[in-house]
Amino acid sequence: METMRKFERVCEIVDRNGRNPSRLIPILQAVQAEYRYLPEEILTFVATSLGIPPARVFGVATFYSLFTLKPKGKYLIRICNGTACHVKGSMGLYKTLSDKLNLGDGRETSDDMLFTLETVNCLGACGLAPAMVINEEVFGQVTSQRAAAIIDEIITREAQYESDSSRIE
Amino acid sequence: MTKEKKLSITIDNRKVAVKPNITILQAAREHNIYIPSLCTLEPLPSYGACRLCIVEVDGLRGFPTSCTTPVDDGMVVRTDTAEIRTLRQEVLKLLLSEHPASCLFCTEHDECKDYQGTIRKVGVTTGCRYCPNDSLCELQTITEKIGLTETSYPVYYRGFPVEKSDPFYDRDYNLCILCGRCVRVCNDIRMNGTLSFKERGKQTTIGAALDRTHLDAGCEFCGACVSVCPTGALSTKVSKWYGKPDGETKTTCVYCPVGCELLLQIKNNETIDVFPNYDSTIDQGLLCVKGRFAIPEYVASPERLATPQRMTPLGYEDISWDDAIDEAAEKLSGINPEDVLIVVSPQLTNEDLFVAERFARELIGTDQIMSVLITDMREETVSFLNLASASSPFNVIDTADTILTIGFDSTYGFTPIGIKIKKAAKAGVNLTTLSVHESNLDIVSGETFQMNVTKWPALLDSIMGKMPGNGKGTKLKPLNKVVVIGAEVIFSPKRGAVFEKIVEMKDRFGWKVIVAHPYTNLMGLLAMGAFPGIKRGEIVSDGTKSTGPAVEDPLSAMDLARHRKVVYLIGEVPFENLPECDFLIYQNALSVKSTRKPDLVLPSSLFTELSGTIISAEGRILPIRKATDPYGKSMPDWQIISKISEKIKSGALKYSSISAIQTDIKKQVKSLSDVKKRLEFRKISAKTSGKGRTGKRLSDPKSSRKPWEEKYRGIALKDVVSGMLVIEERRRHE
Ligand code: SF4
Ligand code: SF4
Ligand code: FES
Repeated sequence: METMRKFERVCEIVDRNGRNPSRLIPILQAVQAEYRYLPEEILTFVATSLGIPPARVFGVATFYSLFTLKPKGKYLIRICNGTACHVKGSMGLYKTLSDKLNLGDGRETSDDMLFTLETVNCLGACGLAPAMVINEEVFGQVTSQRAAAIIDEIITREAQYESDSSRIE
Repeated sequence: MTKEKKLSITIDNRKVAVKPNITILQAAREHNIYIPSLCTLEPLPSYGACRLCIVEVDGLRGFPTSCTTPVDDGMVVRTDTAEIRTLRQEVLKLLLSEHPASCLFCTEHDECKDYQGTIRKVGVTTGCRYCPNDSLCELQTITEKIGLTETSYPVYYRGFPVEKSDPFYDRDYNLCILCGRCVRVCNDIRMNGTLSFKERGKQTTIGAALDRTHLDAGCEFCGACVSVCPTGALSTKVSKWYGKPDGETKTTCVYCPVGCELLLQIKNNETIDVFPNYDSTIDQGLLCVKGRFAIPEYVASPERLATPQRMTPLGYEDISWDDAIDEAAEKLSGINPEDVLIVVSPQLTNEDLFVAERFARELIGTDQIMSVLITDMREETVSFLNLASASSPFNVIDTADTILTIGFDSTYGFTPIGIKIKKAAKAGVNLTTLSVHESNLDIVSGETFQMNVTKWPALLDSIMGKMPGNGKGTKLKPLNKVVVIGAEVIFSPKRGAVFEKIVEMKDRFGWKVIVAHPYTNLMGLLAMGAFPGIKRGEIVSDGTKSTGPAVEDPLSAMDLARHRKVVYLIGEVPFENLPECDFLIYQNALSVKSTRKPDLVLPSSLFTELSGTIISAEGRILPIRKATDPYGKSMPDWQIISKISEKIKSGALKYSSISAIQTDIKKQVKSLSDVKKRLEFRKISAKTSGKGRTGKRLSDPKSSRKPWEEKYRGIALKDVVSGMLVIEERRRHE
């Protein structure tokens, strides 16, 4: 049932793009916006409905770093590691957050699926170095303490939300 | 047709006339001007990845790649200036910065080759074996041509694990130069789409969707990617360490009646590999897994019979040919024809079948020439033969406007037909697929029906009903409708009703029929008359309207329940359907495990070791050419039969060469004398003898219950060729 609903949404996305293979990238973007990643069966489904080989869809999906085939956390933290940010100690920042969230060793997403921690090569916000982006929100001149505080704030907010919604039920 | 106007361009100060709409690289090649290139390969679309083919063109900025730049009238091109040469060296160095280069830049490079193979008293390493492609590699050739003898960049080894889990070929993407030839051949020529580039930057490689194995990703194991790879990244498992072949023989594949052209690769008198011929007018180089990969292991199988053998109470003993022939002749001479059953394989050559037929009818005096198609097709034998002999040439697909496939899947066989259908469907031709299980053509078809065979006749009725001009008896205008029938219907016990519908589609509505059956030289077998009730040549049409022979139901005529004195098997293994007999002669290339042990074993040579011809499903006479010496003491089937005949009655069936047989065939079967002409066949009719069925009926032979599998001369390919086991399992699960 769950999967049926899944395919319905994709179907809609593919249809909205006129089932046009040259609109593969916008389709994948929309799919990723929906699921926060590109599930395997969805990739195959997209390929079949566009009449192109799954290998081609996979090729595109792995080429762009914005696409991900692994499920990501609700909060995607990107730490800039471009030259300016690197010099301003972005890797220290990364280390702090990765320790705090118990990540590292190739693990990028926390067990509760709340956070994913990544580095990016340049956010184009060198004036704000070191810069960090959480989902769409940009934070400039972040120190380790401030970063930790931002994360804590999110955790509290989420816990609050959780208990609220359980109370409503 | 108007002649295309030629353009005039100047390449390296030479004025040349060239066709329009070609690239500079093509123009240069036509005039024997060398431009190095790695990623371009005819007939693949140009890609412009390697950047080695750069040239200078007056009026064009920079250094355009000649493989992607079209020619233009008055163009002035330079291919070999000092600047280009340095640039090319630089490009090549960059290319090699990700490719292990020990084979290219080694101080012992030349000496190594010269001193290999010397006999010394101590063990020495005679040359490195670092890459399966050594001495075949295009990268080596190019490096030499470009004159690069060292590189200033460190080599970055990408450390990809070598992929060995798929059958038939291995993949070491550490050697890949990302020319994209494999991706293009898989997508554009094979219309398969297993391969794509994945990831990016220094992680870029080639692979299948979701990092699946090729088997899971729908690969056909056609090996096209392996043949086009210029490096050692893709290599055939069985032949990868053989090095450069020392010869090539063009022949015809005998695994199915398509009759693809094969380029056998020969080394030290062994068939080590098989390449496609992209110029072939029969298959356009679109071999399937069997032709491409299942031959070397079959012909060199450890089960090959090397000498004649006789059964003794203590087991088999090797005997000489003279003794073996004597023994066979002794058992057969003067025998009552009723007491003999001769079984021939439809995978023999015309010459073998001709001699076998004469042996049976003239020497023994029996009409009982059995073949597996009778026990496979049972009551439907005659209707099957009629469908098969009314088959149209495959190129009817190219001009079709409607195509229907019934129980047909071209993943692991009949790929030249399957790819034609895929091309047609992509070009907008209306394709309907009907099958029990999924078919690989479903993805390109407009309409897909998956259902049980029992429901097919009704569906075919409705398809016929939908046809335009379906009035009773109305004369129909010529239609371009093609129906292709495959294994799922041919081997279904319910085929009879479907065959009837197809005959109706053909006769009443003008559908053209293609039958994708596995009996390679079925048409040759019929033409030579190696079939009960059909005389030599009788079925080959000579252009007149005369009707073909009428035959009795072959299965009951064969009366397989009756005991025989001698059963003589020629290239066939039909043990589950054999009558009991006192003496069993088994003449074949591989030994066989069976409950009824043969009394006499005669080793046959295989098709890579002999010459002859077959008649393909399209009615073309195709050559089999000898590539290596016969295995052990084996002999071609015709020769063994002829030797036995000589012993029975001197001079009766004396043949000492294939050309003598061919001369006789031409004399006796007139229509076969013109090799160029496509043969047409007459319709066979079923004789309803007043006697009713004679003899005991053969009750449900096991062969019709067993799922069908790919065989050659009665032996399942999966039992001889390791990779075919995986393929066969995959086919069954689907
Ligand atoms: S073997 Fe054929 S189908 Fe398989 S990946 Fe290579 S080209 Fe494609
Ligand atoms: S595997 Fe071979 S054919 Fe394919 S891209 Fe690499 S080098 Fe080219
Ligand atoms: S041959 Fe032109 S870029 Fe490779």
